[in-house]
Amino acid sequence: MSTGPTDPNAPRVGVDEWVASHEQRRTRRAGVLGVLERELTRLPHPAFYLAFGIAAAIVPAVTSDGYVIKVGLDTLLYMLLALGLNITVGYAGLLDLGYAAFYGFAAYGYAMLASPKFGLHWDTLAVIPVVVAATVLLGFLVALPSRRLVGDYLAIVTLFFGELFYTVYQNGEHMSLLGFTGSRDVTGGPNGIPNIDQFNIFGARIGELNYKAYFYVALVFFMVLLFAMYLVDRSRTGRAWKSLREDPLAAELMGMPVNRLKLIAFACGAGIAGLAGTVFAAANTAVFATEFDFTSGLLIIVYAMLILGGAGSLGGVILGALVVNVSLEVLRDPGHATWVFYTLIAATLVARMRPWRWLVAVIAGTVGFGFAVHAIVSAVWPRGVHGEAAVGGVLGSGLGHWVVLPSNPMTIGNVAFICLVLAVLVLTLLRGWVQKLAMIPTLYLAVFVWENRLVVEPSVTRLILVGVILIVLMNARPQGLLGTSRVEIV
Amino acid sequence: MQLLELRGISKSFGGLKVISQLDLHVDEGEIVSVIGPNGAGKTTLFNLVTGVYAPDEGDILLGSESLVGLEPHEITARGVARTFQTLRLFLNMTVKENVMAAAYSHTRAGILRSVLRTPGMRREERDIERLAEEKLSFFGQRLIGYRWDQPAFSLSYANRRRLEIARATATSARLLLLDEPAAGMNPVETQEIAELIGRLREEGGYTILVIEHDMHVVEGISDRVVALDHGVKIAEGSFDGVATNPRVVEAYLGTAAAATK
Amino acid sequence: MNWNLFVTELVAGIAHGSVYALIALGYSMVYGILKLLNFAHGDIYMVGSFIGFGIITVFGGAESLTVSVWVLLFVMFFCAMLGGGLLGVMIERFAYRRLRNAPRIAPLITALGVSFFLENAAQLVLGAQYQSYDSYGWHNGELWVKGFTLPAGVHVGIAQVIVVVGTIVLVVGLTLFVRNTQLGKAMRATSFDREAAAMMGIDVDRVIVATFFIGSALAGAAGVFNGLAYQQVWPYMGFVAGLYAFIAAVVGGIGNLPGAVLGGLLIGLAQSFSIGYISSQFSDAVVFAILIAVMLVRPSGLLGRAAVSKV
Repeated sequence: MSTGPTDPNAPRVGVDEWVASHEQRRTRRAGVLGVLERELTRLPHPAFYLAFGIAAAIVPAVTSDGYVIKVGLDTLLYMLLALGLNITVGYAGLLDLGYAAFYGFAAYGYAMLASPKFGLHWDTLAVIPVVVAATVLLGFLVALPSRRLVGDYLAIVTLFFGELFYTVYQNGEHMSLLGFTGSRDVTGGPNGIPNIDQFNIFGARIGELNYKAYFYVALVFFMVLLFAMYLVDRSRTGRAWKSLREDPLAAELMGMPVNRLKLIAFACGAGIAGLAGTVFAAANTAVFATEFDFTSGLLIIVYAMLILGGAGSLGGVILGALVVNVSLEVLRDPGHATWVFYTLIAATLVARMRPWRWLVAVIAGTVGFGFAVHAIVSAVWPRGVHGEAAVGGVLGSGLGHWVVLPSNPMTIGNVAFICLVLAVLVLTLLRGWVQKLAMIPTLYLAVFVWENRLVVEPSVTRLILVGVILIVLMNARPQGLLGTSRVEIV
Repeated sequence: MQLLELRGISKSFGGLKVISQLDLHVDEGEIVSVIGPNGAGKTTLFNLVTGVYAPDEGDILLGSESLVGLEPHEITARGVARTFQTLRLFLNMTVKENVMAAAYSHTRAGILRSVLRTPGMRREERDIERLAEEKLSFFGQRLIGYRWDQPAFSLSYANRRRLEIARATATSARLLLLDEPAAGMNPVETQEIAELIGRLREEGGYTILVIEHDMHVVEGISDRVVALDHGVKIAEGSFDGVATNPRVVEAYLGTAAAATK
Repeated sequence: MNWNLFVTELVAGIAHGSVYALIALGYSMVYGILKLLNFAHGDIYMVGSFIGFGIITVFGGAESLTVSVWVLLFVMFFCAMLGGGLLGVMIERFAYRRLRNAPRIAPLITALGVSFFLENAAQLVLGAQYQSYDSYGWHNGELWVKGFTLPAGVHVGIAQVIVVVGTIVLVVGLTLFVRNTQLGKAMRATSFDREAAAMMGIDVDRVIVATFFIGSALAGAAGVFNGLAYQQVWPYMGFVAGLYAFIAAVVGGIGNLPGAVLGGLLIGLAQSFSIGYISSQFSDAVVFAILIAVMLVRPSGLLGRAAVSKV
């Protein structure tokens, strides 16, 4: 590069490079935080993946709580699923809504080949590759007729495929070939397939319900695939997938065989789900079709993880799965959930309300409003305050004096829930001090609904939460936490 | 020696005949410009050659091989690359990645070899990277150095057009189809583009078919000019001959203007 | 040839198909305007069905109705259609409006989220168990006892007639509306080219709201029809029916209104005949096969027009 002010091609002040680096100068933070931020962004991503792997590996060593390890195992399985879906959706931009079917197919496949069901007890090192290969093949078969479909149609086809899978497996205890052969029990129907063989790797046989061992198996699988995906990302195929996601027509015209790439992405995603399915089957010792149905929320939860983390981002897979699954687990226990609920509300208010006098005003207003309402209700309708808060201890008794807790909260709680939804929607339409004022009764209503309805039915509440996460995310921050700015489906 | 030949090409969309019995040829090393008012069928022509549409009649030959019926990526692999009237870059990918991606058709490493990082794959990656750097340095200082790792969406409009051309050259094409490469550029940039096209032929050995509206560019670069109107070829020849052709004047400016010529 | 079975399945298929057609119409209309697959549409159908159920309860419950059947039906339809329409409008306003120009994955995922939210909110508020319209119990089942008998010995109750005739009325009404009113023409224009329509002075927001309202109202009506003929309502009924209606809309040609009706009938009949002649497991597979076949042979649907986009 030639230098000197007379060279017309050298970067000039006010133009090109100077402008480009000006942006950088402006956004750099000062001091220690700045140095930290700069060093962190300079680290290659595999360093973070490695850090995660080490941290995860330590978890079963420091805790002997079986529940925590099981949650960890579930989280790792979700991470695997999100990783596979990331290829299909995040890289190739194919909206696969039947993804759970691949997971179930593999789980059932493992169960059929390694359980008393058909008397087959194949060796682990034989079953897993066979099942994964079969799932990849299934992925190919599903993607094949979808080759020429625009993204929306693919979504429908895959969604229906997922439900078809569920119907077939759920009713599979009387399967006959179009009425020609006799009826045979293929999938166990609603009873699923129990007593699945455990993993037996090179003679090391994992004991039943030894979640710790399966945790490590899943972790190893995940880390290997994570690094593999990182390497693919920086390769010819990864570039082609990313180009396909950006602009499929331009990619095709730049020599990339778009249809073939879509097929491969779909099949790879399916294969990873297949691998996860085998671990799922062995760890849970039994499979049931209802676990892979749309209404179980499995598909939606994986999508929420993927979107929250950021589709197309590998680190996002880890983060999204962690955040969502841990949140969902916390929601199972009313006591923990309540703490999280209030902390979240407080955190959101603190983060979003500036200046802080508004924050203080709203909180004070809500507290005062609450006591007032509580006093009025206990005077007018005593049964309205005889119920109990879900959480115990100090918080519980404090809440008992502040929140209206009817002794029979069902109907009024339901009505309040609907009112809460409407109130939140209206809140998004308001501005300024009117909005702040409206926040007070809305917050109180939210607490009311939480204490009386949501916290006592955690299984439904967690699914409602997942739906809300998706809606809010897509409206507020579609690229999720770590994703690139746009992912288009093709 | 003919590199590209269109024989009797016709294309209709619904009831509208967009291209009608078109014969066109481009010799190796030539720069041919295609001109005509909007709606004349110029971009459709490009789409037919690159396989986005299939012609209703006629044949398209690259060298001696017919391109009709081939998938677009197969046509690109045989040596035809294009740019787009409305830019179609991979905006979220870096400048270098955009160009490297286009090397797909003449490289071979699959997923397995990529994961295992075989020596063959690593060598190929280095070659691809060097190819991208080489193609980008064709544009002087504009797309090199720190620019390589910047996302494409951060580029200025003129640089985006240059990047698109660089990406097209990375496909190792012999024939470049440039669709309005100077659109939206100021006079200085337009002049640069015209010089660039000349250099692409001189230094790069490309055969180039250009759609362009700016007559200065057309005049400066073309060996031959083809004029289309409503899907029909109305004139062909040197720039001066075509520019003064009464049918061409009529197509652009109307019959009264043609009458005064 | 067992005519009895054939005609029974034919009647069932037409009735079911009518319900699917109504839901499919809503899908098609919204897709035509926004190019959005509104996954939550099936759940609007579910809400409509529950509204109808609520009306029955308000009027004393299935066994002890306090009003005549016709009054009951009128109120049910009015409320379900109004409620469904309003719900659809709310969903558009709060979930989809901001995403009009976002990459297509955003509204699709949001629609998934809305659908899931509605299903589980319904489960929270209304309970997970199946409820029943129990139309056989209304004034001693007068809607089922009265009717006519077809040649093959199959009895068709008035309830089923109401479903089919009601669908015809609604479809004809919709067609007249779209073809003859200003708003209808604006809807067609907007679905062709939203930007051009806006430039011609059409209030695109209003058109979109109207589309959602009408489509969702039809879904609400379909919910009542379904309850009337098939009794059961439960929170996840929208997912299943929505899926079939989706396929119907796609098979018929998405964005195409006569196509949605044709698709609905086709899917309804295919389902019925599969259940009757093969088995209920395979009815899903048959429908899936039809979908794939249509996608491969005529990707834009049976009556659809392939869109040509400029490169």
